[in-house]
Amino acid sequence: MAQQYEIPVGAQHISLLEPLHFKFTTENEKIVHTDANVYYVHRGIEKACCTKFKFRQVSFVVGRVCGLCSISHTTAYSQVAEKLLKIEIPKRAKYLRMLVIELDRIHSHLLCLSHVAENSGFEALFMKTMQYREFSMELLEAICGNRIQYDFSIVGGVARDLKPEVANQVLRRLDHFMPQLEELADIFRNNWTLSLKNKGVGAISRETALRLNVVGPFARAAGLAVDVRNETEDLLPWKEAGFEMVTETSGDVYARNMVRIRELYVSISIIRNIINGLPETPIVTETKAFPDGEAVVRLEAPRGELFYYAKGNKTQVLERLKIKAPTFSNVAAMVEAFRGNEYGSAPAIIASYDPCLSCTAR
Amino acid sequence: MKLATYRKKSPWILHYNAGGCNGCDIEILACLAPKYDIERFGMINTGNPKQSDILLVTGPVTKRSRERLVEIYAQMPEPKVVVACGACASTGGVFRGMYNCEGGVDQFIPVDVYVCGCGTRPEQIIDGVVQALAILEQKNKDMEASVRLNTQPIAEDEQLNRRHVAASITPTPTV
Amino acid sequence: MNKIATSLDTVQEDIGRFYDPEQHHFMVMNAVDLGQQLEIQWFFSHYAPPYDTTTFFALASPDATIPSIRSIVASAWVAEAELVDLMDIRIEGSEKGFVLEPDFDSGPLRKNK
Repeated sequence: MAQQYEIPVGAQHISLLEPLHFKFTTENEKIVHTDANVYYVHRGIEKACCTKFKFRQVSFVVGRVCGLCSISHTTAYSQVAEKLLKIEIPKRAKYLRMLVIELDRIHSHLLCLSHVAENSGFEALFMKTMQYREFSMELLEAICGNRIQYDFSIVGGVARDLKPEVANQVLRRLDHFMPQLEELADIFRNNWTLSLKNKGVGAISRETALRLNVVGPFARAAGLAVDVRNETEDLLPWKEAGFEMVTETSGDVYARNMVRIRELYVSISIIRNIINGLPETPIVTETKAFPDGEAVVRLEAPRGELFYYAKGNKTQVLERLKIKAPTFSNVAAMVEAFRGNEYGSAPAIIASYDPCLSCTAR
Repeated sequence: MKLATYRKKSPWILHYNAGGCNGCDIEILACLAPKYDIERFGMINTGNPKQSDILLVTGPVTKRSRERLVEIYAQMPEPKVVVACGACASTGGVFRGMYNCEGGVDQFIPVDVYVCGCGTRPEQIIDGVVQALAILEQKNKDMEASVRLNTQPIAEDEQLNRRHVAASITPTPTV
Repeated sequence: MNKIATSLDTVQEDIGRFYDPEQHHFMVMNAVDLGQQLEIQWFFSHYAPPYDTTTFFALASPDATIPSIRSIVASAWVAEAELVDLMDIRIEGSEKGFVLEPDFDSGPLRKNK
């Protein structure tokens, strides 16, 4: 048996956006065992949502769980609160929520792709992807008024309406983005240097993904067709807006890149369909009821399935709020997929998981 | 050219997330990207605290990351400047009072520049870092001033001079 | 959401009979403080239509030891380790210190804390 070395990565590391600690046990460059410590950013949001804040304020607090998918958190909370209040929101609000979620998905996927490129050692592609990503941030600012932390969904509907000139601008910028996306897809698909770091690296099989309950692009890259957008039609009508499932089979870093790139095309077509067919209804349902009973909501965030459980007790303050973030489900598989890979590939693999620790730890 | 000149023209930044929501972190990443391009001030993001001059901290300090934050700050060489990015790094923000949050970076390490906003805009981050540059230069000057000692001769005073008063240390010859 | 009542003695058996990795997706484990007792919940969703959510729930006293389901659901250790710290309960095979610092008074989500 070769000698074993322990190599720590984190909590502060150049390839990590967030504090995350991995301890790799390596044997001649090969990783044989991994320990993960993912709770550096535990803040105690669940407790504060049940004691400090009223239920209408909570939708702004849960947005601060994660800055990358804040619209997914606010929307999921708003939906679960609407279930507790037993109200139905107008159709235009549903469509506007979907619009912002898809724009958010574009910016999140492009950020992840750029991060994979950077951690694979391809700095120029990182810069290119970040440059092309800026259009989505500008569009989100035009729609919601802020580049991140949109606070767009509120209990009962959405906070702002979509102006017709902003809608035109979205369509125009998407047309402008399409050739850029083609260029990125070509590089990620065909670049030989990138494929050395990405193909066959960090792979998990479909059986492992099923056994460890993986969600999101991580699972879809392994051939597991799991997407909440494919399932529920009553809360947000994804299929009506033109959702298509994207899966790959090889389950490695390359396949995850491909899933994200192909999902960008799906997101763009969904946004176009939404803007072209936006219903003319009010955007908020007013109610004076208090939350009662218990409800669960699932929503597809950029990283996978987001799960909210809430319990109300007919007062302003909720009894219990449970948040399950996508990366939380993937922690077990993240630790598993390192096994057998070289230590030098670890940063690219970490980036390809697209881990969101502030979601996981809350 | 001295080290101080290079430090002024090309400060290296170190980024640490002490428990924030990622929002400010992706805006720092956007600063490094072509649209905002913080590299025109000569700055690059480095992962090594021992080579960096400016520490960008985001997030309210959580209980588990507080020791890491202090450790990273202690490893940075002098002179160093700390920029607290975002409302929660400055004061605790919306997380103030939550059970696992300490509320603000300045509870643990001295902060020179506070950048407001939730989340901060890249323009604000660049503004904060450029302000930090001026502070870095000032700290550098203060450090150099302390090194260059004033070596003027001390004027004669009324104090007794030990050398004049005490007996000579030449050994008395033994009989 | 269809809720299935179970108890601490039979939860392993019930979930073992129910869970099939090809069909069911284990989401998360949760606990709600009801005052005297805790309601422990296990959430599952389905991969196939109609995609509904199945919840197993059991009532437990705060000092009971809750059986672990990680022999049935391999990825359940994350949820269990988190719940041990946040609710100050005992689960087989999980230790404290995964979420909170060792010097922290555990169980912040309990009502009397």
